[in-house]
Amino acid sequence: MEFDNSKPIYLQIVDFFYENILVKRWADEERIPSVREVAMMVEVNPNTAIRAFNHLQDLGVIHNKRGIGYFVASDGYTKVLNIKRKEFMEQILPDVFKKLNLLDISFDELKNAYNQQKNEEK
Amino acid sequence: MLTIKHLNFNYPKSRFVLKSINLDFTAGNIYGLFGKNGEGKSTLLKIMTGLLFPKNGNCLLEGNEMRKREVQSLHHIFLVPEDFELPAISIRSFEKVQSCFYPQFSKEQFYELIKEFQLSPTDVISKLSFGQKKKVLIAFGIATNTKLLLMDEPTNGLDIPSKSQFRKVMASIADENKCIVISTHQVRDLHSLINHVMILDNAQVAFDQPLDKVSDGLWFGKPSTNDSSEPIYSESSFGGKAILPRLDKNETEVDLELLFNGVLGAPDKINAILNQTQNDERV
Amino acid sequence: MKEFSLLRIGHFIRRDIALHKSTFVTGLLVGIVLIFLFSFFNMIWDKQLSQDEFFGTFGLIYIPMGVLFTFSIFKEFNDPKANQLYLSIPISIPERLASKWFTAAILYTLVYTILAIITGILALLFGVVVLTADFNISSLFSIEYWNVLKVYFLVQPFFLVGAISFRKNRIGKTLLFLGILALVFTLFNFLLFGIFNHNYGLFSGDAVISEAFDKTAADFSALGRWFYGLLLGPVMLIVAYFKMKEKEV
Repeated sequence: MEFDNSKPIYLQIVDFFYENILVKRWADEERIPSVREVAMMVEVNPNTAIRAFNHLQDLGVIHNKRGIGYFVASDGYTKVLNIKRKEFMEQILPDVFKKLNLLDISFDELKNAYNQQKNEEK
Repeated sequence: MLTIKHLNFNYPKSRFVLKSINLDFTAGNIYGLFGKNGEGKSTLLKIMTGLLFPKNGNCLLEGNEMRKREVQSLHHIFLVPEDFELPAISIRSFEKVQSCFYPQFSKEQFYELIKEFQLSPTDVISKLSFGQKKKVLIAFGIATNTKLLLMDEPTNGLDIPSKSQFRKVMASIADENKCIVISTHQVRDLHSLINHVMILDNAQVAFDQPLDKVSDGLWFGKPSTNDSSEPIYSESSFGGKAILPRLDKNETEVDLELLFNGVLGAPDKINAILNQTQNDERV
Repeated sequence: MKEFSLLRIGHFIRRDIALHKSTFVTGLLVGIVLIFLFSFFNMIWDKQLSQDEFFGTFGLIYIPMGVLFTFSIFKEFNDPKANQLYLSIPISIPERLASKWFTAAILYTLVYTILAIITGILALLFGVVVLTADFNISSLFSIEYWNVLKVYFLVQPFFLVGAISFRKNRIGKTLLFLGILALVFTLFNFLLFGIFNHNYGLFSGDAVISEAFDKTAADFSALGRWFYGLLLGPVMLIVAYFKMKEKEV
């Protein structure tokens, strides 16, 4: 895994989990790889991986069944969706607005671009 | 697990290579030992293995002097040296004659690693390239399952895919009972593995902190223009990265290269801030 | 935990044999061929192989080859690239010393003796057939054998110390050292001899040096044998122990 230099690695692992859950690679209630497997997969110190697991557990995205392993929570997908939506609204969107303003792009222009993109996808 | 106390070392007729070193290595960590060339990293690892004797001070493995090279101490330690020569026999014969000295040796693990490193047990070691020989020794060192595994520049001589393989393997073997020490100047290769940084400079320990402490106290990155706090260390180039006190800013990943340069440039400032945060936590 | 285990010694001996297999095999092969040729040529003139002839050849090859083997099994010890791994093998110093000595002294002697006797028999048979020599197998077994062994067991530890102590030109330096030592002892003995025998007036007249030496040999033989035996054998092994203990990479 290539790491972005600014964000703590454990949060980047968390993002990796989010992505897997959002694209439904890991469905709700499904078993996910162990700490060691994740550490190997992303080539990090197991302690860092544990930190990511703990973070996700605190958020209720995953849970630990003693002796069996970690599982995506029953409402894991919804939780991740909410977390990522909030992140988008609070962190990415203000930047986008700032850029729109700076480059003097009107909302209509943006709307057209959005619709065009949607059409192409269909 | 391994403790170094007031250690001095010099080679015959030369200045001190190591001066009043105090270090403590505990299980469950991967230590990164950094320092400029010739700052005594290899020397320190050799002293830790009992291959060189301290001029003053001690190096104790669970209370036993390493310089005595007792069996009970050597059972628990394995050093992968930077430069080495292996016997001119096949990998399988090497395993047969050498593994019997390590009670915790796992043949299964060894041959698995050999396979993973794309080597064959019938390969004759003397006919392999340096990088391949290094892989043989790394695989052997891991399979000994010693409590302490010391590696001197392990990624030197490994190609890019092998470096990634090496990180995977290290991530898979690290656990709470094992203490791994990796000396390197190739910070980039290993920064995701290490959770404790030790830096040697001017023959002394300039820095010795766990990484979570570092990311608690320091912020790494390109400071925005409206940042009020004065950088502790910044790279001179325009728009260069800098180390700032973290205060209430978001946590950033520790930039080991920047930290290394920062410690060489302003060791007192950095250590003062980290010790400050340590004290705060105690209150 | 035990610092002296026969199992580890066994492992270490096996390791040495595996690592130096080709050296041992080549050396022994050369030795066998030489013994065969020497023995055979000895039979050309007098149509027989005497004890002196056989054990002369035996010793001539046995001792130098033993010394070479001793040096070869200590190669790793002084090789800066190999000795880091070598010295960190979990085996205690008494175990190291015991296994090295066993390999280079006992094991080597056994293997060499057996091979030499077999070669001797073959040479004899060959001599009987080709040269119609006497088949005198008793010349392969004699008291001479033990004398040759004694010399080797006393000299070998000295070379063992040499193999440990020097990094380069180990054999040359050891021989040089041995030469100097021999010279010093000769001088020392000569002085002692002079002091002890002064009253006999040996130096006053036309006494020949060789006569004096003969007398010394007779005088000191018992004491001297013990002295040198001890000096070259056990004491050298103790020196080797401390050399190994103090060894750094």
